[in-house]
Amino acid sequence: MTSSTAIPRPKLELKKHALTAISYMLPLVVAAGLLIAIGNLTGGTVIEDYSQEYTWQSALLSLGVLGMGLLPPVISAAIAYSISDRPGIAPGLLIGMIAGSIGAGFLGGMLGGFLVGWVVLALRRHLRVPVWAEGLMPMMIIPLLSTLIVGLLMFFVIGIPIVWATEALTGFLTGMQGEARLVFGAILGAMAAFDFGGPVNKTASLFADGLLLEGVQEPEAVKVLASMVPPFGVGISFLLSRLLRRPIYTRQEQDNIKIALPMGVCMITEGVIPIAAADIIRVVVACTSGAAVGGALSMWWGIGSPVPSGGLFIVPAMTNPLLFLAALAIGSTVTGLILFAWKKKVSEEVDPAAVVAEPEEEKDIDLSEIRFS
Amino acid sequence: MKLVAVAACTSGIAHTYIAKEKILGAARSLGWDASVETQGTIGTETPLSPEDIAAADVVLLAVDIKVGGRERFEGKRVVEVGTSTVIASPTKLLTAIEQKLSE
Repeated sequence: MTSSTAIPRPKLELKKHALTAISYMLPLVVAAGLLIAIGNLTGGTVIEDYSQEYTWQSALLSLGVLGMGLLPPVISAAIAYSISDRPGIAPGLLIGMIAGSIGAGFLGGMLGGFLVGWVVLALRRHLRVPVWAEGLMPMMIIPLLSTLIVGLLMFFVIGIPIVWATEALTGFLTGMQGEARLVFGAILGAMAAFDFGGPVNKTASLFADGLLLEGVQEPEAVKVLASMVPPFGVGISFLLSRLLRRPIYTRQEQDNIKIALPMGVCMITEGVIPIAAADIIRVVVACTSGAAVGGALSMWWGIGSPVPSGGLFIVPAMTNPLLFLAALAIGSTVTGLILFAWKKKVSEEVDPAAVVAEPEEEKDIDLSEIRFS
Repeated sequence: MKLVAVAACTSGIAHTYIAKEKILGAARSLGWDASVETQGTIGTETPLSPEDIAAADVVLLAVDIKVGGRERFEGKRVVEVGTSTVIASPTKLLTAIEQKLSE
């Protein structure tokens, strides 16, 4: 890469870097979470001393725990990579290790990643070395200097308030009782369902994933539940409209629902987007209401999920699978009932071909945002 | 018009591929020639060929995260948007790009 392309646009792009980290983190967290679940279910214990004999159950559980421990380094390295490309990876991993060790966890990993990324960029842009030393820049100078600078900061300055904030947050959430749990579950559930996998959902998701790394499993169950309520709720309203002969979906929408349901089983909410796009307010209100009810119940019952993603397939790994299914069913039914009662009737005489051929309504976009680079 | 595009979303399993279909659909309706590369969690699929990139009038990046291989587009006109823009308004986006190109 030439030096001209190495200088990024002036935009901060915080969200893009954070999403890149989430994207690299997800497969790791799913694999580690499932390993922990399998190990726990089969009676494994975390191995303390590897010189003693251990069972395969304990091996799986311990591997999962090791995987979870890798998360702060991977988050930090992915953010640093997103900001400053390849030179960010090595220092990013190291700073993430510090975050994990001092108890700054997920938050520390994220902040550390940003700092590493920016420091590496600054070094690449401003540090000039003689020609004979250019080979040393990527191999020695950048990794050493950036790790040294951000590492010392992490240990002695910024790590301290993060550890404090992390402990306060997890303490608050685990200490929550009664109505506070209901309200928290409802808000988190509503957020996770609000935009069908969009930025609001990702914010809720990030929050739940972060807490999982701190050992708080309940928000993750709410997130999993709220991601499945929209497709199942729409499915229930479709079923009701069939049973009670009150058509509320066009032929095209019915086809979309048949695709959205299996996607919902895998916890992919996006299948509902075409149905929501056609009737945005009713569908969003119905889905967020259902997810809020389900989320509140899930928190109330104290259901935890050690795995952040995987839909119905990971329900057996939850702390109380049956109650989770009950909360999911109740939330989805609320969504289904609201949709069925509120959606306008469509006439069956509409020529299905005409419906298919009709172009989807496109949103207006801000053209001024489009720039060539 | 000839368009090459890269699509990549956060979870890399759904929006990436919806975005690809939307771009191809909009390009078809406008009579454009389009190739779309997906960088999902599974890795890169349907990679852009160097010939496609060389022949393209414009490069569209429909990405929410950092994608690999940006150096392939050096010297080309590159438009970057999020996957949500492409999914919500693919035809309007392509029309707007064409307008800006002719300015």
